[in-house]
Amino acid sequence: MSIDAQDHDDAETLDDQDEESKNRVQAWAADWIRNPQKAYTVMGVFLGGVLLTTTLFPLYWLFAVAMAPPGQTNIPLIPTRIDLYAFVDIFQQVPFARFMFNSLFYATTVTVVVILVASLAGYAFGRLDFRGKLPLLFSLLVLSWFPPATLFLPLFRAFNQQVKMLGLFTLPTEIYGTPGAVIAPLSAFTMPLAVFILMTFYAQIPDGLEDAARVEGSSRIGALFRVIMPLSAPGVATAGILTFITVYTEFFFSFLMTGDKASEWAPIVNGVLAFQSRYTVRYDLQAAASLVAIVPVAILVVLAQDKIVSGLTQGALKE
Amino acid sequence: MARVKLDDVSKSYEDVVAVKNMNLDLQDGEFITLVGPSGCGKSTTLETVAGLTKPTSGTIHIGDREVTNLPPKDRGIAMVFQNIALFPHMDVYDNISFGLRLRDFPKEEIDERVENAADIVELGGMLDRMPDELSGGQRQRVAIARSIVRNPDVFLMDEPLANLDAKLRVNMRTELQRLHKQLETTIIYVTHNQAEAMTMSDRIAVINGGELQQIAPPLTCYNEPANRFVAGFIGSPSMNFVPATVGDGELQANGYSLSYDTAAVEELTSREEVEIGVRPEDIYLVQNESEADKPSAPVEVVTDVLEPMGDEIFVYLKPIGSGEEDGMGSVEEREGLLMSVDPATDITEDQTVEIVFDRARIHLFDRGTGDAITHGVIEGAKMDTGSSEGEAQADD
Repeated sequence: MSIDAQDHDDAETLDDQDEESKNRVQAWAADWIRNPQKAYTVMGVFLGGVLLTTTLFPLYWLFAVAMAPPGQTNIPLIPTRIDLYAFVDIFQQVPFARFMFNSLFYATTVTVVVILVASLAGYAFGRLDFRGKLPLLFSLLVLSWFPPATLFLPLFRAFNQQVKMLGLFTLPTEIYGTPGAVIAPLSAFTMPLAVFILMTFYAQIPDGLEDAARVEGSSRIGALFRVIMPLSAPGVATAGILTFITVYTEFFFSFLMTGDKASEWAPIVNGVLAFQSRYTVRYDLQAAASLVAIVPVAILVVLAQDKIVSGLTQGALKE
Repeated sequence: MARVKLDDVSKSYEDVVAVKNMNLDLQDGEFITLVGPSGCGKSTTLETVAGLTKPTSGTIHIGDREVTNLPPKDRGIAMVFQNIALFPHMDVYDNISFGLRLRDFPKEEIDERVENAADIVELGGMLDRMPDELSGGQRQRVAIARSIVRNPDVFLMDEPLANLDAKLRVNMRTELQRLHKQLETTIIYVTHNQAEAMTMSDRIAVINGGELQQIAPPLTCYNEPANRFVAGFIGSPSMNFVPATVGDGELQANGYSLSYDTAAVEELTSREEVEIGVRPEDIYLVQNESEADKPSAPVEVVTDVLEPMGDEIFVYLKPIGSGEEDGMGSVEEREGLLMSVDPATDITEDQTVEIVFDRARIHLFDRGTGDAITHGVIEGAKMDTGSSEGEAQADD
C-alpha cells in the first residue's frame, strides 16, 4: 500500500486484517468461510422459504378468496374476517360430496385395476424370460408417449357405438357417460409407468423366495400376491399413489367422457364449475371447493410419504 | 416317504445341455447326494424333481405317480434352499406354517404341527421372531422346520449348508443326519462339497457335465471309482494321476515303472496308453513298506514341499532329475505326486526318498475315455464297478 492510500478512510479495510477493522459484510464472509455450515443453513432456509412460498401461497390465496364475501372481487391479502361458512355451503348448494365421490371412485378403481394388471405384467416382464420380451416392453413405452388427447376422438366415437373398436366389433352397450368411459382409458394411460415401476421391484425379489413359495404350495400367481407383492410394498405403494393422484387430478377424459351432473358420474372439476352459473360466479365457493378437493390427496401423501420416498430411492431389496 | 425315479431326464437350454439322460432310482427312505463341480447340472436335476424346472425330455416318478408335468405344490415335496429363502415379511411361525395355511389346515392342527417341527429343530420359543432377528444357523433351522412340517414324501436340499460358516456347517451336517434317522424320509441332497457327500449319504451320485458318472455308496465311489472324474473328485486331497504306457508286465511312466500281474489284468495288453491313479494314502515310504497290502518295487523320488496338517503330513514328490530335463512347472503338473505320511515321520524338503505304491490300491484308467480299467494291479483285482460305461470301452 502506498502512503497515499493509507490516508483514505477505507484503505485500511483492504490490507489490515484486524478483526475490529472489518466492516459487517466482511465479518460475515469471514465467519462463513470459517463455518461453511452456517452459510449452507442460511441458503437452505432461504431456498426452502422460496419453495414453500411458491407452493403454499396459491393455497393460502384460495383460502383468502374463500373467506371473502360472495361477489367481492377485490381480495385483501389478509382476510378481514374468518368465515368458514363457504366450506359448509359448497356441500349444500351442489352435491359436492357426490362429485368428490365420483372422482375418488375413478381414482380408486383405476388404481386397483392398474395395480392388479400391472402386477401381472410386471411379474412377466421382471421375472420371466420369453421371446419378444424386449420389443413388447419397448412398445409399451412407446404407447405411453402418445398424447392422450389424440386418442380422445376415436375413443369418444367408439364409446358412443359409432365406430368399431379396433375395426373389429362395436361395443355391446354405449359406455359414454358411464364410469367405464373414464376408467378404461385412464387405466390404459397410467398402466405403462406402473408396469415399469413394478417390473423393477419384482425383478429384485430373489428367485429362491418364489421357488420356496411354490414348493410350499402356492401357484406362481399365489406367490406373486403372497410373497413378491408384500416384499415390494414400497414399489406397489409408489405405483399406486402415482396412479391415484394422476387419475384424481385428471381433467380431460373425466370431464369430457361424462355428463355435467354429479348423478351422471361427473368428476370433481364439474363440482367446482357448478358454482358458476350463466350470470354469477361464486369465487368464494369455488375456492373453498378447490381446497376441499385437495384434502384426500394431501392425506394420502402425508400417510404414504415414507413409502413413496423409499419406493423412489430404494434400489436393492436385501433378502 | 416314497421312491423317486428319474428316467432319461434331460434338460437343455437354448444352446446348453444342462442335464443329459439322467437315470436315478431312489429307494424309499434313502439319503442320496448329488455331487459334482459347479455348473454340472446337479441343481438343475434337483429342480426337475421339485418341478421348478420342466425337463426337456424324460419322466419323473415320485412314489407311484408320474409328476413330470405337475406343479411343485402337487408333488408332495419340500425343499431347503441354498440361500435359505425364508419369507422376510413373516415371523418364524408364519414361515413354518405357510404351506399348511395354504392347504387350509385347521388352526389347532397347524399350531400342533408347527410346535412339533420347531421342537425337532430346537427352535422352541422363537416362533414370534422375524427372520432378520435370527442367526444363520437358526434361519436354516426354520427353513428345515418349514420343510418337515408338511410331512413331505421327499426332501430336496439344494446346498443347504453352503452359506453357513465352517463350524456351523459341521454341526448342521450331523443334525441333518440325525433328522434323517428320525424321519426316515427320502432325501435328495445337492452339494459340491465331496466331504458332505461322503459323510451323510447312503449313496452318492457323481455328476459331471450334466451326465451321471457313478451312483454308488460313498466308499464304493472312493475305492472303486467308475472313471477318472469320480476318482479325482471324491477324496481330499485328490488322487494322483500319472500317464503311463503299457509294457510287458510293466507300466512305464516317466520316472516310475510299475510291474503288474498280466494274469490279473488281461485286458491291459491291448492298451498302450493308460493313466495310473493312486491316492496319497496309498503311497508309502520304503521303510513303511509293510503297511502296504501289495507293495510295488521301490521308486526313487525327491521331496518337494511339505504340508503338515497335524494328523498327517502331505508330501509333494517329484521324479529325480526332472527339473533339469524339462521345465519345472510342466513336469510338476504331469508327474508330481502327493503322498500322505504319519506326522511322526522324519522327512524334510528336497530329500531323496524311496517310495512304494500299494499295488492292491492302484487304479488304471483309459487315457482316452477316462473309464476305469481296473482297481488294483494284482491277481484277483476287481474289474470295473459294474457301471455300464466300464465294459463298453474295448476300443483302442
